[in-house]
Amino acid sequence: MKNLNNYGYAFIAPFWIIFLIFNIYPVGLTFYYSFTNYSGSGTAEVVGFANYQRLIADSYFVEAFFNTWKIWGVNFGLQIVIALILAAIFSDMRVKMKGLSFFRSIFYLPNLITVSSVALLFGILLDWQHGSLNMVLMNIGIISQPINWLNEPASAQLSVSLILTWMWFGHSFIVVMAGVSGISTDFYEAALIDGANRWQTFTKITLPLLKPILLYIMITSLIGGLQLFDLPMLLTDGIGSPDGSLNTMVLYLYNQAFKYNNYGYAAAVAYGLFIITVIFSAIVFKSMYGNERKQARRV
Amino acid sequence: MMDRTEIENNVTPEKLSKRTLVPQESKTKKRRSLIKGIIYALLILTAVICFIPFLMMLVNATRSNDAILTGFTLIPGTALMENYRTMMEYVNIWNGFKNSLIISVLVTLLTGYFSALTAYGFAFYTFKGKNFLFVFMLVMMMVPGQLGLIGFYELCKNLGILDTFIPLIIPAIASPFVVFFLRQYIQTTLHPSLIEAARIDGASELRIFHTVAIPIMMPAVATMSIFTFIGSWNNYIVPLVVLFSPEKYTLPVLMGFLKGSQVAQNLGSMYLGIAISVVPIMIAFLFLSKYIVNSISAGAVKE
Amino acid sequence: MKKVVGLIMSLVLLFGVLAGCSNTETSGDAKSDNKKDVDLKVWSFTDELKKPITTFEEKNGVKVELTIVPIADYPTKLKPVLESGVGAPDVFTGEIAFLKQWVNAGYWENLSQEPYNVNEVADNYVPYVFDLGKDEQGDVRALSWQTTPGGLFYKRSIAKEVLGTDDPKEIGEMLTSMDKVFEVSEKMKEKGYRMFPDEGSIRWFSQGDDPKPWVNENDELKLTDQKIEFLDYAKELRENSYTALAPEWSPSWFEAMDKPIKVKENGKETETEVFSYVLPTWGLHSVLKTNVEDSVGDWAVTSGPSPYFWGGTWLGVYNKSENKELAYDFVKMMTQDDEFLTDWAKETGDVLSYLPVTNEIKDDFSDEFLGGQNNYQFFLDQAKSIEPGIVTKYDQQLDTFYGNAVQEYVDGKKSKDEAIAEFYKKAQNAYPELKVPKK
Repeated sequence: MKNLNNYGYAFIAPFWIIFLIFNIYPVGLTFYYSFTNYSGSGTAEVVGFANYQRLIADSYFVEAFFNTWKIWGVNFGLQIVIALILAAIFSDMRVKMKGLSFFRSIFYLPNLITVSSVALLFGILLDWQHGSLNMVLMNIGIISQPINWLNEPASAQLSVSLILTWMWFGHSFIVVMAGVSGISTDFYEAALIDGANRWQTFTKITLPLLKPILLYIMITSLIGGLQLFDLPMLLTDGIGSPDGSLNTMVLYLYNQAFKYNNYGYAAAVAYGLFIITVIFSAIVFKSMYGNERKQARRV
Repeated sequence: MMDRTEIENNVTPEKLSKRTLVPQESKTKKRRSLIKGIIYALLILTAVICFIPFLMMLVNATRSNDAILTGFTLIPGTALMENYRTMMEYVNIWNGFKNSLIISVLVTLLTGYFSALTAYGFAFYTFKGKNFLFVFMLVMMMVPGQLGLIGFYELCKNLGILDTFIPLIIPAIASPFVVFFLRQYIQTTLHPSLIEAARIDGASELRIFHTVAIPIMMPAVATMSIFTFIGSWNNYIVPLVVLFSPEKYTLPVLMGFLKGSQVAQNLGSMYLGIAISVVPIMIAFLFLSKYIVNSISAGAVKE
Repeated sequence: MKKVVGLIMSLVLLFGVLAGCSNTETSGDAKSDNKKDVDLKVWSFTDELKKPITTFEEKNGVKVELTIVPIADYPTKLKPVLESGVGAPDVFTGEIAFLKQWVNAGYWENLSQEPYNVNEVADNYVPYVFDLGKDEQGDVRALSWQTTPGGLFYKRSIAKEVLGTDDPKEIGEMLTSMDKVFEVSEKMKEKGYRMFPDEGSIRWFSQGDDPKPWVNENDELKLTDQKIEFLDYAKELRENSYTALAPEWSPSWFEAMDKPIKVKENGKETETEVFSYVLPTWGLHSVLKTNVEDSVGDWAVTSGPSPYFWGGTWLGVYNKSENKELAYDFVKMMTQDDEFLTDWAKETGDVLSYLPVTNEIKDDFSDEFLGGQNNYQFFLDQAKSIEPGIVTKYDQQLDTFYGNAVQEYVDGKKSKDEAIAEFYKKAQNAYPELKVPKK
């Protein structure tokens, strides 16, 4: 029988060969480059911690860091609130809404479209002078002057946040619904008997029980959000204008490496990004679970 | 505007519940159906907002550049064919479609098969270092893809596989998240006695995997495949970095290419190009929406 | 144990098959190309080589494949291709903004050596064009068929209505300084026209009569007073509504060449027409002619406040090409074939750097599009004042950064000092090796 267990190695071998070559090795190589002044060709000279020192003092990286957070934060807040409201509507046993699968599909639709198509589409829809959005808004009379959406730092960031919300609230809604339908009806019946109103039911029963699901949405969204690249790259001129407000961390990494040929420094940017992701994922995890960790696990 | 804020106020759960506590039955019923109507109206409004950008895209794809520049209307124009010709003169969207499809299908197949294989290996054999490898894999799962990007690029350069599909396809064999998901799944669904029985029947180990394990894992593999496919289809930064020749571009990269090309001079053609990249996906979604929605739900709850 | 070995073997086999699959998959395009017998691959950033390539194919009975990559991505995409040699072109073009970088990168074949010996024909070229194609050792790496002095293209009908004349000489005299340009702009505005499509239009004039490179020989970034003045001029254009708010290369920029355009400003929507476009030689055939239908013949070209040159396409042979002979034949046709170049010049109005042909045609050249004006003579005169020493390898990124800084100042998002400081910071960030003024 012991012999058979050697198959275990054979079964996992392809995975590990590819994993080592295309995953571990590049990550290690990037780590090495982050200590060099490699410029994409020629030889790499080891420069110690110089790249990291530069990173800490680099106001563009700091700017990119805060931009990424602002854009992600606004989008996430909106997305989760909309998803929760929708879930509350559809899960209410007293109102009994119909058409769940229809609305779910429609709301999810924007998420399926390639981000670069979305970016391109909004890029021309949001055009200041000739974008269809401004034209429609002006025709209806909501605005009297065209808004230069992508030219003011605040509105550019808000635009990206809203586009992200548009793309992702359907997804969050589906996930929240899945969580809600997993909650036993016993809880609600008991609440009904106790005379709890809707708001109490929602805050005292639904929300706490949804915690693991919300955490799941938050962490996956956070990891994706910190890697924000396509939208700012294609909505602007590729360097994150206006006023650097759409300069995100990954866009900065891309530009440093593949546009300015500062591979060594870009590698350090990548590790900076990684460390930040780890720290914030940990914070999110801690703050959501905190002391009730054991309790949460049981759920 | 006034109506809207009032509607929104009405929807808050607190108000809903207070209203429903009104004693008279008929009045409550009336109120309830009114509220229901308002909620439906809001839902439809949200749905419309979801769909409006697509609608603008479709309408504008049929209009000429100067028509688009002068104003927006919902009436389709007549410049569809002209837009198409202008676009095709510079960018072959269909080619990008083909490339994306080839890559995404192969990625999905490889991920599905090899992740199942690996998950099975982890779940049903005991060997030295198994736990260590599994935990190590989980740790690496947390590493964002961009971390290794520069090293990955250098690796591909040294292997001479830049500007080919290999760096986009082969790494799919190692997908830690899918392995993790499938291992959790198969541990609860496949009982070891089934494997024992097959062994007694004289089946080889690989055969057992193919005939016993794979069919049982199939629902989970299908779930993950949808994610894998969408992920690969939408992948932008890796093909952007490793592909150089425009005829090899995937759809997302081709979209960026479209923006910089001469097609961008003509808004109608731009809209048409975007529409072509979007509409087939929408049609496919019409047929598959149920599965996709179920997969997302399953993916989240199984965590 | 045997079984394990067998399993591993079959896995290896499977790998091989898969790798093979993806290999054929990826080389699928190349293969089908082989069927079509592609003899020569050419990479460029515009479609202007399309027609010459057809001519070349017919003449030589070969198949040429042209790959066009938008200019913003062109260096990023081409560099790795040349580095690795995978799918690399036999001939590729270089734009002046990154020419300096490439002649020294060693991707282009040395054309000064056997069997090309281009130095023998050096006298046939406008000197600056020939010199720009040389590397640090003075060897020629790339050649160009064109010279790219700039002008100011305007609409005759509007000129007549507003300025009382459409004669290029007289119009040119009305635009000899920036102050005069603003006077004319005001006149245009009074009659409901806009002088320029956007603020960037005047950036070339802002270099003044004595343009300086972005970076001098000591790696010092220099922002000249003239370049700083450009900030004020651009702002003045915007604040006085002298432009149609149609950014360069945007759909509205192209649209405004031929048709009235709507401008939304200060809460009003007005319809207006654009008077002039600041473009160099190639702007005529690859920008104006391809986008203008209604106003053909209504255009003319004259000089602005100061001479300038903009762009230019050089081409050379990839030094790892397996088909250098044919590749050089193509380069030769583009740059030294009397018959082809004469046809090309007459057809497009492109101003050549190849003197045997230009001397032949310049005297009685006239272009229908420009109402019969002899643009050749005009541009050749302008070409004399071109100062090639201002080209550096940083131009492409620095131009982008500075354009951005100007835009932010014009939009009122930054003060002048802030915009300049921002520009310095970006330049330093992208090129740590530069010495940037501390401000």
